[in-house]
Amino acid sequence: MGALSSALRELEAIVGEGNLLTGTEEVTAYRLEGQMPLAVAFPRSPQQVAALLKAASTAGLSVLIRGAGRHLHLGAPPGPIGLVVSLERLDHILEYDADDLTITVEAGVTLEALQRVVGQKGQIAPLDPPGPHSATIGGIAATNLTGPLRLRHGSLRDLVLGLRVALCDGSVVKTGGRTVKNVAGYDLTKLFVGSLGTLGAICQLTLRLVPLLEARAIIIAPLPASQAAEGASQIAGSWLEPASLEIADPRAVERLRGSLPMTTARDRWLVFTGLLGDPEAIAGQEREIRSLLSDGCVRVDGEGADRAWQELRSLAYPSHPMAALLRVCVPMARVAEVMDLISSWEGWWTLARPTQGTIYVGLSQEGDMSQTKQRLVRLRKQAEERGGFAILEFGPPELKRDFPVWGDQPANLDLMTSLKHSYDPAGILGCGRFLPGL
Amino acid sequence: MLDRRLAKSLARIVGRRNVLTEPADLLLYSYDSSTARGQPDAVVLPASTEEVSRVVRLCARHRIPFVPRGAGTNLSGGSVPARGGVVIALSRMNRVLEVDVANQLAVVQPGVINLDLQQMLAPHGLQFCPDPASQKVSTIGGNVAENAGGPHCLKYGVTTNHVLALTVVLPSGEVRAFGSRVADPPGYDLVGLFVGSEGTLGIATEITLRLRPLPESVQIVLAVFDALEAAGQAVSRIIAARLGELPAALEIMDRTMIQAVETSFPSGLPTDVEAVLLIELSGLKQALDRQAERCAAICRELGAQRVEIGRTPEESERLWSARRSAGGATARLCPSFVVNDATVPRTRIPEVLRRMQEIERRHQVRITKIFHAGDGNLHTNILFHRDDPEERRRAEAASAEIFQVCASVGGTITGEHGVGSEKVEFMPLIYSAQDLEAQRRVQQVFDPGGIANPGKVFPQPQLSSTGEARVN
Repeated sequence: MGALSSALRELEAIVGEGNLLTGTEEVTAYRLEGQMPLAVAFPRSPQQVAALLKAASTAGLSVLIRGAGRHLHLGAPPGPIGLVVSLERLDHILEYDADDLTITVEAGVTLEALQRVVGQKGQIAPLDPPGPHSATIGGIAATNLTGPLRLRHGSLRDLVLGLRVALCDGSVVKTGGRTVKNVAGYDLTKLFVGSLGTLGAICQLTLRLVPLLEARAIIIAPLPASQAAEGASQIAGSWLEPASLEIADPRAVERLRGSLPMTTARDRWLVFTGLLGDPEAIAGQEREIRSLLSDGCVRVDGEGADRAWQELRSLAYPSHPMAALLRVCVPMARVAEVMDLISSWEGWWTLARPTQGTIYVGLSQEGDMSQTKQRLVRLRKQAEERGGFAILEFGPPELKRDFPVWGDQPANLDLMTSLKHSYDPAGILGCGRFLPGL
Repeated sequence: MLDRRLAKSLARIVGRRNVLTEPADLLLYSYDSSTARGQPDAVVLPASTEEVSRVVRLCARHRIPFVPRGAGTNLSGGSVPARGGVVIALSRMNRVLEVDVANQLAVVQPGVINLDLQQMLAPHGLQFCPDPASQKVSTIGGNVAENAGGPHCLKYGVTTNHVLALTVVLPSGEVRAFGSRVADPPGYDLVGLFVGSEGTLGIATEITLRLRPLPESVQIVLAVFDALEAAGQAVSRIIAARLGELPAALEIMDRTMIQAVETSFPSGLPTDVEAVLLIELSGLKQALDRQAERCAAICRELGAQRVEIGRTPEESERLWSARRSAGGATARLCPSFVVNDATVPRTRIPEVLRRMQEIERRHQVRITKIFHAGDGNLHTNILFHRDDPEERRRAEAASAEIFQVCASVGGTITGEHGVGSEKVEFMPLIYSAQDLEAQRRVQQVFDPGGIANPGKVFPQPQLSSTGEARVN
């Protein structure tokens, strides 16, 4: 144990006394799926993060980088965790150029804090991942989770302009910059966003912001099963400019029930079209949606629309009673087939964002585990046959162990492994949560 | 000069008529739209992924550099061999393989010309958003390699935001499929990493693009200013105003540029003013009138002496044609110029313009300026006469200073054109040695032998002296 205790002393020297937890009781809160970390560090600068990663590399300590811990359910069951590097105290807004519509924040800033700061200037960070606002921006970037607004504003990889990343060799490097256009050098920002803490620790991020628009509405169209997906693709292919577009099957609607401004027949599917911008243009689009889809559309505005939007966001997060959650992706025109398949499965629900080909598939209550697994296998096969994939975002450990969460044979794993090895030669990062070997 | 056996091997792969080794032919492939020059040892024109793969494999086996090339409209020397070797010209791979209207995507070969694709998509009500000024000739493969932009990228994003998947021939010759037809496949974002890598990570031989519906309506606002700075201020104000959405484009031309355009391609712009601001609004018809009025009001508040609103497609096209002819018009004014496309946070534009005018005076050079001002992308063409080495030196010195100014206000040295060979020496202005080292690790993984477009993007710690072409 001599080597370990000297490694821990070294870690403590980096972050300073009081900023490294090692007591069993103290670290218990940071346990993940049964894995108890040896220590938890709270660095206060990117340089400290880099020094921690370097020391952990030397000591061969596996490292889990953590924000607020809101998305730790993602990924394969973790292996042993040596050190948790918590970025919670990297929580400063570094530079806010409201007129440039950009902001640079530390990774531990929460979504809530970010929206509060930019909200004061009438702006919004168009990030709306599933889950609570207490998630950190660094964590959201590492997981690459997006929400309904992606249709209008793009994915995280489109919205993050630059990063400062701590690497395992102890360096802190800058990727990208502060401008929307920048083609100088390789776009490492894209590589680090969505890498689930397996290549380095994202310590700072520069993000695009957008003006918060006063006029916002969601048009909710109740439709029979056979017309919902077709209706949504009519909207997607029309002159309308929806900010978000979602389809919920009746069981997903059931989960939303309390927050909807309407009651619908039990067999109705709902198509949600988000509209932003000019009030008259919203009205014009609403008329078009009514004529395309249904006279029975209901419109919610302003804060009501915000509430519905939040509910739709959270549906894809394991906070409701939930036994399993998958993200299934297929080309837009095949979304209906997948939703149809699932609609005959008792206890399962679906929420689709057809323009991204994304379908969140949830299982409300744990049932027969072998049947669940069979269905997941079938779903993945259906997705892959259509050129897509299926990721198990949440599920009990025994299911995750049986069903490879990221897929059976991810493509280009050899290239990805080489990239991983070049940034993390000691293989300490990630604790086995990402693709095998990464 | 290429080994004769090697030339024969190349001919066996692509056919004899698709291998060029005559000096006159090689000369044609020794330049692009930048000032870089460098002769290849051979040019091959493959017709399929399979052929590209076999050519690259041959290069890898013999450790010969290869340089992918589309239409050669590159503005940073990216398609010019820096160390000789084989130019792989993709012009024969020019088929649109699939337009999938229902899923709003297209699969194309790299030699497809941007505008040809747009024209094919328009009847379906779809578009591929990036629209570089070179779109009449530049290829999608080149757009991908350079992460090309264009005026409309303000609203719709640059090439990288519109590429879903790629078939890539790696520098080993191996063929790989990156990405997926649907969003966010599991694993690292290899597509995002590849787009904009300037031919240094391999060659994209099939490209799956995300398409977008054409806007319902388009309107143009043209404002004429007595001061370039005021035009710059208008840009920031318009973007910060809650118009409902971003304008599709915000372009500024300065006096020299306007005069050059009007001389060569008259389109009715006033030639006695300091700046013209062109605003394109796109989206829902119902919203555009009000948006246009608000833009016009902002311009007037900032002292615009004239504001026009163009409501018909014909009017819009006339105004845009002036913008698109800027490169050609500059070339007519003076055939040689240093192209600079440094980019700054847009609120710094007025300040940078002041400093740019000072640089222009001090170095006694003429600069035509045309900006994608909405995203801070400043295109400056610094004119010189080819036979006047002293003037050329001044032009280059002025360009270097512009890079420094832009970097010092938080900007970057290139917004669209790429680093190529021409901006390699300026990379340290924006990246530390460690930053660059982190990028080079990717290159080491993809191309450990260093044969894919060597001498581009990164300052070279060690230069090989053999077989190196002069890049001037």
